[in-house]
Amino acid sequence: MWKMEDYKYLFKVVLIGNAGVGKTCLVRRFTQGLFPPGQGATIGVDFMIKTVEIDGERVKLQIWDTAGQERFRSITQSYYRSANALIVVYDISCQPTFDCLPQWLNEIEMYANTKVLKYLVGNKSDRVNLREIPRYIGEDFSQRHDMKFLETSAKEADNVEKLFMEIAKQLTLQARQNDLRPYTSESTDRLDGGSSPISSYGCCKL
Amino acid sequence: MAATLESATSEKSSYSRYENLTQLDQIKDAYEYLCKQEDAVNSELDVQLQKQSALESKMLSLHSMLPNLQLVQNDAKQLEGMISFTSTLAENVSSKVRQLDLAKGRVTACIQRVEDILDLKFCTDGVQTALQDEDYEKAAAHIHRFLTLDENVLRMSEDASEGSALETSFSLLHEAQTKLKQIVHSKFDAAVHSGDVASVERFFKIFPLIGQHEEGLAKFSKYLCAQLADTAEKNLDLAFRTQSDDSRASVLYADTITLLFESIARVVEIHQPLVETYYGPGMLFTMVQYLQKECDRQSRKILEQFKKNREFEMKAQQVQQCLMYQKVNSDKVDPKDLDLLLAEVTLLNTRAELYLRFTRRRITNDMESKDQSDEIREEKLMEIDQFILNCELSRLMQELIGNYIMMEEYFMREMVIKAVNMDQVEENSLTSSMVDDTFFIIKKCVRRALSSSSVDGVCAMLNHACSTLEQDLCDIIKSRLRQGFPSGFDFTQAYNLVQSSIQSGRFQSADVETDKAKSAFLTTLNNAEVSCECIQTLKSNLEEEVSKLYSSVNEQSMAKLMSCLSDLAAVSNRFKDALEFGFSQLNSSASKPRIKPCIDLFMSTSHNITEDEFTNYEANDPWVQNFIINLDSLLQMFKNALTPTNYDTLVSHVCTEVASQLEKATMKTTFNRLGGLQYDKELRALVGYLTSVTTWTIRDKFARLTQMATILNLERVTEILDYWGPNSGPLTWRLTPAEVRQVLSLRIDFRSEDIKRLKL
Ligand SMILES: Nc1nc2c(ncn2[C@@H]2O[C@H](COP(=O)(O)OP(=O)(O)OP(=O)(O)O)[C@@H](O)[C@H]2O)c(=O)[nH]1
Ligand SMILES: [Mg+2]
Repeated sequence: MWKMEDYKYLFKVVLIGNAGVGKTCLVRRFTQGLFPPGQGATIGVDFMIKTVEIDGERVKLQIWDTAGQERFRSITQSYYRSANALIVVYDISCQPTFDCLPQWLNEIEMYANTKVLKYLVGNKSDRVNLREIPRYIGEDFSQRHDMKFLETSAKEADNVEKLFMEIAKQLTLQARQNDLRPYTSESTDRLDGGSSPISSYGCCKL
Repeated sequence: MAATLESATSEKSSYSRYENLTQLDQIKDAYEYLCKQEDAVNSELDVQLQKQSALESKMLSLHSMLPNLQLVQNDAKQLEGMISFTSTLAENVSSKVRQLDLAKGRVTACIQRVEDILDLKFCTDGVQTALQDEDYEKAAAHIHRFLTLDENVLRMSEDASEGSALETSFSLLHEAQTKLKQIVHSKFDAAVHSGDVASVERFFKIFPLIGQHEEGLAKFSKYLCAQLADTAEKNLDLAFRTQSDDSRASVLYADTITLLFESIARVVEIHQPLVETYYGPGMLFTMVQYLQKECDRQSRKILEQFKKNREFEMKAQQVQQCLMYQKVNSDKVDPKDLDLLLAEVTLLNTRAELYLRFTRRRITNDMESKDQSDEIREEKLMEIDQFILNCELSRLMQELIGNYIMMEEYFMREMVIKAVNMDQVEENSLTSSMVDDTFFIIKKCVRRALSSSSVDGVCAMLNHACSTLEQDLCDIIKSRLRQGFPSGFDFTQAYNLVQSSIQSGRFQSADVETDKAKSAFLTTLNNAEVSCECIQTLKSNLEEEVSKLYSSVNEQSMAKLMSCLSDLAAVSNRFKDALEFGFSQLNSSASKPRIKPCIDLFMSTSHNITEDEFTNYEANDPWVQNFIINLDSLLQMFKNALTPTNYDTLVSHVCTEVASQLEKATMKTTFNRLGGLQYDKELRALVGYLTSVTTWTIRDKFARLTQMATILNLERVTEILDYWGPNSGPLTWRLTPAEVRQVLSLRIDFRSEDIKRLKL
């Protein structure tokens, strides 16, 4: 079932955030180029793949779209650890989804790799008249928590491509730097790290 | 004719020519020519004359045909007239036929309407008598017939007297319909009340005849639900009374919910043909929606009892607390207390999954058999999927699985930590108990998750298994390896060991402690290696089970499962890293110090020797036998303490070390011809020995040294060219031209100008 495919790097990207903020819509917009009408709530975890090209190299993004509803939390948490990038999504037209961000960060703190690439995304930017969280508030929050920030609209296809491509680009850059640091049996730097338990296998190089 | 004319003109012109002839010869020639021409003309005339009779007879026959032609022309004209007449006639006829057809159609319609009116009257009368006779099937059949008539069309044929009769019929029939409805409803209710199954089914079949599909299904479903509720209640009661020592006691609630699912499935099984026959395809969904409501209600009851009596939620909360705040041992939930509970949860979920799959398949098949546009069908099928996904039973199960995952993770992690803490080395075992125990636990937990039929649950447990292996096993192995392999001469380490044993109250000699530490290190090394193998085995076993148990899931789910499984393989790389690190430790504290003195001995052995010395070396080996003995004692020390793979890895590391140290030493030694020969012999002995102690090939590691020996063994500088470049044959040089020159220059009897002059 798994054929050897032609790609240089494989990265795991995991989307989290409250129910209804538009995670599934963002993923579908990016992978299928559409805004699904009547999108039902995600059950458990969905899984999608898109291969993109970064500087002439094929990079495969494995995108895990998690359910926001509370009862799936223990399932979705299990994906944090092997994620190369985490996208925390809130809805700019819904204050409670923004207020929950500290909880999400707490979960990341507990379960994710410390070196994970973190993005804060304010979705539904098309709902100009219903906006409840000003852009600068989101941006400010992201800066305080060492995250990159973008406002998107899955509906209007605004910044969606940019979001995923930026992630692919940065992860590729990181992976290349790791490639440059050759591993020798004498070097202990990979063994010292109680702090970086997974870094090396999160990204599978083929 | 043209030919003749032409010749005539040409003759004319030739006459003038002839008139001017003056010579006899010329005249003779001309004469002869003219004679010939005359002959030719004559013969041609003969030919033409022969044709005359034929032409004449043809002319004759043409003349005789002339009158016939006139006849034909007249006939043709007549025919034309006839045809146009016929066509007009046909046109007339067919238009009449069309009119006739139209008339006939109207007549048929009229007859139909008359029949309808007759039927209507028949129905009107029939329904009355049928109602009087309490023959409700017949009455319903009349109503059904009446409902198929187009009332509006019939009203159009209204004519004063007829109209009022029709009107009465209609009103009578409507009245009868309403009455019948009431009767069927009340009779159905009565039948339900008195538990008269036959009558219930009897009236259930009548509803669709009088246009009461939805109502009939609703009533009947409600009746079935009540029965289901009854049975479910009894089953739950029975469950309460089950003794705790019953063999099924630990899966009591799973058994009870299974009974519920089975009874619903049976109801669907039995009534599906009935619904299909009397209500038509596509209606099962309506019925199942009612049944599912009851199912949800009953499932909730059973699950509530389960949660209460098994203290499920309380335990879940405690576990969550334990996970959040790393509690001290005494407050912790004992993972063993969760074992049975977890098994029952997976059983509950797999039963629910099975039931929901059955239900989905049934209503989907029924919906697909309905004749409807693809678009509507797609929509309906989506609606069915959403219905299954969002029914309360699904939601309850999702909650249960959510808690299950959390507790299963806790169970797995705690058990593994325990196994690691209670690590023991059994006698004659190369590994310690923690590896076997850890993999046993992980396998048990993932397999338990597999038995839940929850794809997301399995994926989550696979993810957790990866974390546990890495954090609770691999990291421990690494930290133990990081302590290093104690070398016998390391006094600080020995001192520390003494200190720690004094502190722990048991004083042992440093030697014993060191030996213990050594064997612990080797055991850990073996643990790392065996873990890699165990992961591979675990992965392939799980893959097999997944493809067996989850063969019917959709592509998306299978992709998820496979992706999570493949992450397991990535974890084994972490163990490989640890192993690699361990060997580098072993190398620096055990192999290197052991090899070093032997290399020093080599360095102090002269390789600039006379014939006598060479012979003497043969009898009294200067260093290499000593080296081999030393290596052998080193390897023997490890051979029985390492797994076969690890032992081979060790030999491989030793070879690398020997080759690297010897190469450096060789580069600092000087040789003459005999010294080179001696060196070659020594190297052969060494490589021969190392080859004999491992199953892997190690020659490659000595490729550079072997090539150096070849160079040191040359008669003349230029002899190198017999082995170099185009003459190298199967030999691949591992030495660069610069290195070759460097090695050549180790021979004191080679002149540096010769070496410089070499073209490599
Ligand atoms: N206006 C607007 N609506 C959006 C946008 N993205 C998503 N929505 C709507 O938001 C609702 C929820 O979207 P989903 O993508 O299902 O949300 P989710 O985060 O995946 O929710 P869960 O799966 O329950 O965690 C849907 O009704 C979408 O149509 C957007 O960019 N603009
Ligand atoms: Mg979603």
